[in-house]
Amino acid sequence: MIYKKEGLLLSIESLSEKVFRLKIYSPDMAKKALPGNFCHLRVTKGFSPLLRRAFSFHQAEKERNSFELLFKVVGPGTELLSQKNPGDKIDLLAPLGNSFSFPKKEENVVLLAGGMGIAPLFYLLNFLLKKKFSPEKITLFYGVKKEEELILLEELSSLRIKLHLATEDGTIGYKGMITGLFLKELKEKRVKLKRTKFYACGPNPMLKKISQISKKFNLHCQISLENHIPCGIGACLGCVVKTINGYKRVCKDGPVFDAREVILD
Amino acid sequence: MIPDLSVRIDKVKFSNPVLVASGTFGYGEEYASFLDLNKLGGIITKSITLNPREGHPPPRTCETPSGMLNAIGLANPGVKRFIKEKLPFLRTLKTKIMVNVAGSSVEEYVGVVKKLEGKKGIDLLEINISCPNVKEGGIAFGSNPKSAYRCIKAVKENTSYPVIAKLSPNVNNIMEIALAIEEAGADAVSLINTLVGMAIDLDTKKPRLSNITGGLSGPAIKPVALAMVFKVAQKVKIPVIGIGGIMNTNDALEFILAGASMIQIGTGNFVDPECSIKIVQGLKRYCQDNKIKRIGELVGKLKTK
Repeated sequence: MIYKKEGLLLSIESLSEKVFRLKIYSPDMAKKALPGNFCHLRVTKGFSPLLRRAFSFHQAEKERNSFELLFKVVGPGTELLSQKNPGDKIDLLAPLGNSFSFPKKEENVVLLAGGMGIAPLFYLLNFLLKKKFSPEKITLFYGVKKEEELILLEELSSLRIKLHLATEDGTIGYKGMITGLFLKELKEKRVKLKRTKFYACGPNPMLKKISQISKKFNLHCQISLENHIPCGIGACLGCVVKTINGYKRVCKDGPVFDAREVILD
Repeated sequence: MIPDLSVRIDKVKFSNPVLVASGTFGYGEEYASFLDLNKLGGIITKSITLNPREGHPPPRTCETPSGMLNAIGLANPGVKRFIKEKLPFLRTLKTKIMVNVAGSSVEEYVGVVKKLEGKKGIDLLEINISCPNVKEGGIAFGSNPKSAYRCIKAVKENTSYPVIAKLSPNVNNIMEIALAIEEAGADAVSLINTLVGMAIDLDTKKPRLSNITGGLSGPAIKPVALAMVFKVAQKVKIPVIGIGGIMNTNDALEFILAGASMIQIGTGNFVDPECSIKIVQGLKRYCQDNKIKRIGELVGKLKTK
């Protein structure tokens, strides 16, 4: 079921210079949204910017009838969104797309988050913990450009999961890309490959690398893709990604794909 | 008083003048979970070609000021799979179904049309002689009155469905094309398809679309569309269907005043999936408020003096 409703903005919180967290009241969506699903929303009632913007669910709590979105200001659409105030109504279309397929209780989980890719993986992480998945079985690799961009660190540190950080400038954790750190850990055999599910989200160059690594090591890795999404429901074919089985729609066949299936530029 | 919103094209009677444009509404099913499709005047399918088409590589779309560019490349499953996989759902609807047909030769158009002949669930055909994104297809026929005539004539000779010709704005004189397709026997004319446009990413120095250019749609093109609908409506006797940046009831009414008997919602479906249904309700309310018995009374009632 897809809902088209107005949600009530409960709070807007700045997590870093350009990153914001929205909490939105919408009981139906809070109840139905799964990790991996996304929300398509209008940032203005006018026609500039024109199209809806897609954001992965960052949290959904049916007990509180609300969900959260995390976004970075990158253009006029997200700029307008960052200027919203509690009490504002937001035109929502959700939940859309597929969700991650979840690990079995006995499996291990490795999460790979690059920059804003933390948004859906944070929800997946909390979703699994809520389902009594053991935190010791979860490893999170989290990479950003520089220390100031690391968000949610306090929440993540309190979860008793294994946390590996990477910064491109080396201000904290491993110096370099998260894919470099991941590959190093893989090669030094510090990552269990058997009975492990991998999940990745981040910028396209990172996911391309993850896709290559997944093919090489035959990892069961799911990646969540980002794209400009005009319709959100699979009608316009505007958001396709190339895969080994032809073009697929990010909004409807995804946004979650098997990393071994997609062919990224 | 309940106003009469019905419109007729040849033998087909629509409950209201609001259609959803080809390529923006998939094959109807995509929108079924949150719209009552039977409230629409009609649904126009994504373009169907003789053989399946993969479409262009991504990126296929990008946003521009009050508009968007697309170069999908006529991606579709081909006429056989359309009949087998998409038509059964459309057949269950009470609204009118138009199949949009595209091709790269007159023979291909005729081939598709022949395969669609007699299939239950189809009410009309819209012939796309105006796709700006496929080199050999569509636009090749729509940019010249002679080839437009040839294409529509051949289609008419091979179908019993009423035929609508969809025109491109990327031509020297759209009125000549409109007259040519009317002469060829088209039962109605729809306009405009998208305008050729382009966007560039300064950081990468690359075009934003893989196809380099694409078709511009949305509110940005509404003034162009209105002017063309107005001009064509002055020239032809067949019904004119207005398309181009219609986002709300007022936009729809402007097209009707300019001479459109019906209108199509395209990009508006992306912005608000309920846009088309809201316009149906809005037109009804407008007629009630202004004591208009039949929506037809408004068509072409623009005051130019």
